[in-house]
Amino acid sequence: MREKAIGKMVIIGIVIVIIIIAGVAGYYLTMPKTRLKDTLIMGTTDSVESCLDPARAYDFFGWEIIQSLGCGLVEYRAGATGSIDDIVPSLATSWDVSSDGLVWTFNLREGVKYDDGTEFNATHVKYTFDRGMGIADEDGPFVGIGYSDIIENVTVVSKYVVKFYLKIPFAAFLSLMACQASYIVDPAYAPMDSVVEYVEGNPRASHPMGLGPYKLKSWTRVGGKDDEIRLEANPNYWNATGGYPKTKNIIIKMYADSAGLATAMNALEIDIAFRQLSATDINSMKTNTNLRVWEGTGAFIQYLVLQEKYAPFNETKIRQAIGAAINRTTIVQTVFLGQAQKLYSMIPIGMFSHTDAFQTLGDPNYTLTRELLSEFGYNEANKLSFKLWYESSGHYPQSPQQAQALKASLEASGVISVTLDSADWASYREKRRNEEMEAFILGWYPDYIDPDDYIYPFVHSSGGSWLHHNYNSTQMDELIAWARGNTSTTVRSNLYAEIQDLLVEDCPLVPLYQGSAYAVTKTNVKGIYLDITQSWRHWMVYAEE
Amino acid sequence: MTLRTYIISRILLTIPMIFILLTMVFIVVRVLPGDPVLLHFEKAENPEAMEEMRRKLGLDKPLWIQYFDYLSGLLRGDLGKSMAPGFYPVAQQIFSAFPATLELAIFSMIIAVLIGIFLGVEAAKAYNKPKDHAIRIFGIVTYAIPVFFLGMIFQITLGVGLHLLPVGLRKSPTMDAPVGLNIGGINLSTGLYTVDSLLEGNIYKFVESLRYLVLPSLTLGLVLSGVFIRLTRSNMLETLRLDFVTAAKARGLKERVVTYGYALRNAFLPVLTMMGLQFATLLGGAILTETTFSWPGLGRYIVDRINFRDYTAIQGAIVVFGIFVSIVSLVVDLLYAYLDPRIRL
Repeated sequence: MREKAIGKMVIIGIVIVIIIIAGVAGYYLTMPKTRLKDTLIMGTTDSVESCLDPARAYDFFGWEIIQSLGCGLVEYRAGATGSIDDIVPSLATSWDVSSDGLVWTFNLREGVKYDDGTEFNATHVKYTFDRGMGIADEDGPFVGIGYSDIIENVTVVSKYVVKFYLKIPFAAFLSLMACQASYIVDPAYAPMDSVVEYVEGNPRASHPMGLGPYKLKSWTRVGGKDDEIRLEANPNYWNATGGYPKTKNIIIKMYADSAGLATAMNALEIDIAFRQLSATDINSMKTNTNLRVWEGTGAFIQYLVLQEKYAPFNETKIRQAIGAAINRTTIVQTVFLGQAQKLYSMIPIGMFSHTDAFQTLGDPNYTLTRELLSEFGYNEANKLSFKLWYESSGHYPQSPQQAQALKASLEASGVISVTLDSADWASYREKRRNEEMEAFILGWYPDYIDPDDYIYPFVHSSGGSWLHHNYNSTQMDELIAWARGNTSTTVRSNLYAEIQDLLVEDCPLVPLYQGSAYAVTKTNVKGIYLDITQSWRHWMVYAEE
Repeated sequence: MTLRTYIISRILLTIPMIFILLTMVFIVVRVLPGDPVLLHFEKAENPEAMEEMRRKLGLDKPLWIQYFDYLSGLLRGDLGKSMAPGFYPVAQQIFSAFPATLELAIFSMIIAVLIGIFLGVEAAKAYNKPKDHAIRIFGIVTYAIPVFFLGMIFQITLGVGLHLLPVGLRKSPTMDAPVGLNIGGINLSTGLYTVDSLLEGNIYKFVESLRYLVLPSLTLGLVLSGVFIRLTRSNMLETLRLDFVTAAKARGLKERVVTYGYALRNAFLPVLTMMGLQFATLLGGAILTETTFSWPGLGRYIVDRINFRDYTAIQGAIVVFGIFVSIVSLVVDLLYAYLDPRIRL
């Protein structure tokens, strides 16, 4: 009996040992041989918001991927400051503009092919813009930026020459051509009247481009959000002979939040972490010798909106008094731990024509605040009281802390009393539209890299109407129109200086801070450029062996 | 009542329960304040585009037609369209995320039950001794500890510190997802990576999938194990005092056989009931675990859709959760009836 039991145990033992040996052998036999050095793994908390069609895509990450899969007529050189001189050839080798600024002619690069081998020509340029403006997707950049208000028509002159006829002289036109919404689509994959959407299991059918440095190898979405994107070098890329892209394969993995992304980077499970890491994580990573923190100018700004519909914000001096009572140092140092810059203009630091116009109000200047408010009977006994709104669902970085810092800085004047209130992003937008908030914080990522994109959508009577702040100024409208229509960088710089001064005088908005851009990588990763264009150039990134 | 009659009556009871659930979800989503369509227009009201969105989502129809469309859609497996740009089918989005949550839930439940039963039995056996106190304290601590905190501790120690296990995601970035079994062009895939990798016959993928499962399922499993420890302990204490246990011991059966073979079998029924109930808690708990470990499951989907105010997607996810929990409780009831014939009386 006992012998039988021992025999049974021995057999079971032998079977378990065989299973373990087979398992270990199977694991090593089926394991891919060492990871290729031409593959980089990037982690992010981003996800493509809608799709990868320039006719609809209008989000930071969507544009990041579009930029790798497609090409525009022109592009910004790495390290750009937003000046017209930073724009370099891409699919167009040269261009010129008529003296009235209404006709732009582009000479296209010859012999360029899409990833499927189709040859690129001028008809595709016309097709791209006719399609984008024709579809006029409500959520897309063609409507958001207002292409149809700028472009009259696109005409094919010859196989490699194309002309754009504009409705208005538009100085930022080249910037517009460099932005991802203007990337050329392949008519074979881009229906004229509908947007190309995500097609599960078919990456090529999920985007309409094909001229960029990369091909979309796979795109996995889970629950409507990205789980993984794999990019593979496009051998037909026009600059492949120049050695681009430098890394053959890029794998982008999506993390649930900044904490998850930071943990993966600290565990060295990814090569690059880009967007969004918290300020504390970045500071702690700076001391980690296994990592490198890359810092660059950010194009993201946040500002305070004062609703002129409500008294006393209909009074210019009241708005100026608020503008004078803002302590930007607290916001930048306390809330963002120094990882942001104090901003004194709607035009960001690092962009041509930027001036520190709002510094004339002080930072803070409580004497001026008290002086201005006393004209309306406000003092320590009778404080100006209002509700300050902020977004509470994480749409902007550290919103509650920002609001707290703002409240503290305004109340430090001794003559202002602030009550904070918040709403999630969807409700916040609705409240803004319904003009329910008297003072609220908003943020902005640019569409195209030009001062126009930081001025026209905010303080022009037509362009800024979406803000519902009820600010209208004929003088401002005229200045903006002149600045938009002039092609001389010097003249435009002077006009934008005037506009920035007028903004301080009228004070419908108060700029608060400008975000800095951060990426964290392993120490062997090179080729990262974080400039004001906010472009993540996958094709320039590489890891040394 | 025979077992068959019991099964039929229990299934018939589930149908009105699910029907009431579906109706309540439909009503609740529609009485929420605010116009769900208006919320999705960024810059300005555009009546035409808003009307088009209402038409695409079927929100332009009278409520009773919407209700019947909703019910008939459900019968066809159609959960409506997401309100996000593109109007993608909600069912497709939910079922792409559901296997990840299910796999996490199953493994967490296995870990919770194994730890819970083992420690519960050991505590009962060592009643009022230091071992019993230690296990009870462990049970209370694991029950009280927040999922994200425990997860973070595991990440920092086993992942960042020792590089033993991955700190997040569902698979290695360089590994292709397991595809399951292909027979004559027909793909058999469950969406559960551990199962699909075995179907594919790829041991490497199986081990990798397990490696990525360890930390999230251990975290969630440990947190849940507290309940099972306490329940098993108290039931075992009662059972171990019963006459049949004394009789078994008197007949010279080994203590392990008496404890696990006889006593635990009797004490297991309440644990089984608790497993069913805890499955619902587990799906809820998975939301935090999924976020901590960047696990691409249904929990993250729901949080994301709530932030976007995607009413149709939220409605669809609640329906799927509800139906799933109803099915689990049905299965538990049937198992219970099978194991304990008194239930059918």
